[in-house]
Order: sequence, then C-alpha cells, then structure tokens
Amino acid sequence: MTLDLLILAAADGFSYAGLLFLVSLGLTLIFGVQGILNVAHGSLYAFGGYTAATLAIWATEKQAPTWVLLAALVAAALLVGVVLGGILEIGLLRRVQDKDPVLQLLVTFAAFLIFEDLQRLIWGVSPYSSTEVVSRMGNLDLFGITYTVYQLLLIPAVALAVYLGLLYALRRTRLGKQIVAVTHNREVATALGINAKKIGLITFIAGAFLGALGGAMAAPTTSLVPGVGTDMIVLSFSVVATAGLGQITGAFITALLIGMARSLAVYTAPELEVAVPYLIMVAVLLVRPNGLFTVAQARRI
Amino acid sequence: MLKLQDLTVDLAGTSVLRGVTAIAHVASTVAVVGRNGAGKTTLLRTIMGLAKAKQGRVLFDDEDLLHRPGHHRAELGIGYAPEDRVIFPTLSVEENLRLPCEVQALDTADIDDRLESVLTVVPQLKGMLDRSGSALSGGQGKMVALGRALMIGTRLVLLDEPFQGLAPALARQYGEALVRLRDVRPDLCVIITESNASLLMDIPSQTLTLERGALEAGAPAH
Repeated sequence: MTLDLLILAAADGFSYAGLLFLVSLGLTLIFGVQGILNVAHGSLYAFGGYTAATLAIWATEKQAPTWVLLAALVAAALLVGVVLGGILEIGLLRRVQDKDPVLQLLVTFAAFLIFEDLQRLIWGVSPYSSTEVVSRMGNLDLFGITYTVYQLLLIPAVALAVYLGLLYALRRTRLGKQIVAVTHNREVATALGINAKKIGLITFIAGAFLGALGGAMAAPTTSLVPGVGTDMIVLSFSVVATAGLGQITGAFITALLIGMARSLAVYTAPELEVAVPYLIMVAVLLVRPNGLFTVAQARRI
Repeated sequence: MLKLQDLTVDLAGTSVLRGVTAIAHVASTVAVVGRNGAGKTTLLRTIMGLAKAKQGRVLFDDEDLLHRPGHHRAELGIGYAPEDRVIFPTLSVEENLRLPCEVQALDTADIDDRLESVLTVVPQLKGMLDRSGSALSGGQGKMVALGRALMIGTRLVLLDEPFQGLAPALARQYGEALVRLRDVRPDLCVIITESNASLLMDIPSQTLTLERGALEAGAPAH
C-alpha cells in the first residue's frame, strides 16, 4: 500500500466517520431517554438524504448560491426530523414505552419496512443524486492527493460542532439537564417536576434530526439508492453497541475508529469491508460486554 | 392540607394499599411506620403520582392530586426524597439541588435564597456543593436528596426511609436537620416513612402505623 493510498483511505475514513457519528449520536440519544433501540432510525437517514437531494436539485435549477444549497441540506434534515420524528414518537414509540423490548424492536422494525417502501414510492428505485454543492466548494491538496473540501472539512466540522454543542447543552442548559435527568431516572425526574413525556418527544425529534442530518450531509457525496438506510442503521448500531448504549463521547471515538477501519479495509482488503465494523464490535463486546465506554456508576449519557 | 381518602393501590395484581385514610396538617411531621413491604414506599409514590391508585383520593388543598400527572407535584410545592436517593451523577451537587427549581423556571435570585435556606437546615451540604453527584457516599446522597426535596418542597415534603442504612453519626445529623427544619420552616408539612420508629426519636408530631397495606389505629398525635 502506497502512502498516497493511505492518505486517501484516511481522508475517506475521516469524512465517513463524521456521517456515522451524526447518525449514531441520534440513535444513542434516543436510546438514552426512551430506552428504545429505534431501527426506523435508518429510514430517517434515508429520508433525510432523499429530501436533501430533492431540495438541492430544485435549488440548483433555480441557480441558487452555494449557501442556499447548504441551508437546503439542514432544512431537509429539520423537516424530516420534526415531521417523521414527531409521527414516529407520538404515533408509535410512546405507545410501546413500557412494553417488552422485543416488541419495541419489532414495532420500530415494522416502521422501518413501511418507510422503506414509502421511500420507493416517492423517489423510485433508480439512483438519485445532486453533487452540485460538493463541486462548488472545490478541492484541496492534502499531501499530494486531491480531496473535496465538502467531505474533508465540512462534514467533520459539522460532526464536531454537533458533538461539542450537544455536550454543552446537556451540561449547561435547562433542557439538557432535564434530558440527563430523564435518562438517568425517569421516575425521579418526574417527581422533580420534569415532564418526561415532553422531554422524550423533544429528544426523539433531536435524535431524528441528527439521523436525517447524516443522510442530508451524505446526499451530495453519493448516489442514493434503496437500501442506504439499511446499511447505515446496521453500521451505526455497531458503533453504538461498541461504544456502549447512551455514550456520547464513546460514540464519537468509536465512529472515528470504525469509520477509519472500514475505509482502510476498502483499500487494502475490499472483501473484508463489510465485515470489519462487526469484527471490531464482536472483539470489543467479548472483552467488555457493556461496550467500551460504559462506566459502571454513571449509567447512560 | 393533605388528605388521603380510602386509598387503594394494586401493584401487579397484588393489593399493596387497602383503603388508607389519613390527614396530614400544615406544620406537622407525620411518621408512617411499618415493616418492609407494608406499603410505605407505595404510599409516597402514589401521592407523587408515580404509582397508580385503583380507588380513593389524594386531596391537596381539596384538589384531587390523582387527576394530575406526576410532574405537576413540584409546582404545587411538593418535594420528594426517594429511598434510593438518585442523585444525578453527571451534575454537581449544587446543580442537583438547583435542578427542580430551574425546571420550574424560578428566577436565579429566588433559587439562591432557597439554596441559602436549605444550607442552614443541612449545613453538611456546604462542603459538597462542587462535588460530582457520582462522588457521594450513600449517607451523603441522603443528605443531598433531603436538600433537593426542600429546594422545591415549600409546602409538603415526602421523605422515604431517610434513616435506612445511615451510619449512626449521619443519622444523628439527619435528625438534627429535621429539627432545624421545624424552626426554619414552621409551616411545612413533612411525611417520613421508617421501619424503625425509634430512629425518629421525638421528631414526629403524629405517627401512623402501616400494616400490610392498611393503617392501624396507631399512637395518637403527640
């Protein structure tokens, strides 16, 4: 493997880790507060991607400036997060809150299948893409290789900003502290005056937004095809499980680890690409069944 | 102030409280004494809206609390210290204390005043304010839970087995805090559950005895 290839793999992995982190963060945040592993999170990613591409194609036709194209990505994620997230939480998850985890898993899986078909109904099965914003933001030279500014700088910057912003919010804001309290103990949080239902809805929408944002940020860099949601939910699940459910900083580090490992595999042993994230997950869980970053005392977030 | 009328609660098909009727007045300390499993914790959880009553009423100022969701207790000035403390580990002790007031969007000056008053009742908290909620011993956790309940509980405070598992020295401090509380907030109504009545010394003004989910004609007031 030449040095060029190594740098290319690292850049790929770095960028992909950013997307993976956004999606995993949404998944782990929702698990923390609701105690539900939301399989339909993959649909939020896919819908975020398709909606962003649709908006971007439309904006490109209208000769919109670059910042409008970027704003369209965020707007798509917000739209999907609020609408689909709201429908999922109020219509479905709230009703299975205290039920058997297996039932919760099946219900979110069913929602995932429905959304998957809905997505084919709306956007069809042929590849869908709008790479305009990536080419407009240009390229940069990195030790002799050329890489897009969008993937190498923008995506990781967004991921980092979301990570730091969320840490700050959970630590310092009134809403964040309430989320922490509900995550830790729903009942006592209620006794202290916190409306756990409302916090659950807000967290779910925030998590759904992050999943959709992952899709929206990914949209300009790939062709969207049916099944993108499946790939992402499985991969982000491996990140969340490896890190330990509800671990935010853990998800950040693990997304980087798995993103990098996966992309190194793409260049060195492509046949292992699909297996690498799960090999890491299995290796970690064999040694630490609760995940890398789970602390015995401070449970979740 | 607080009236329980024919309160009956089933948990998982078993009746835990059977027709409990009782009154707790303003400016009184009511002890609810009973063995483990007698229903003491369930009684407090039902008042807090955390356990569902099958029948009966929980009247607070003549309003039935059972019609209100659990998170409305705090805005009525009802504080609660659960038996297992539950101090949030990622927040500092001071943040834990302030949290219920912040949830109610009280202004900072008001919260500062309340903190001041709580620290006169439980001076042991002064030295712990900056400490992480995860770095507390069980007994210290009980003190913080008491302080947190007092921050928001301006009218009624429910303490679930506060003396359970406390080392003798801490139990004495806790008892002294309850005595000081009487002086600092004479109008407060306090309900304490305990399995060992002798730990409460002469703090309660009234003792109710709970036996297998029903109240016994306990010792009369005073």
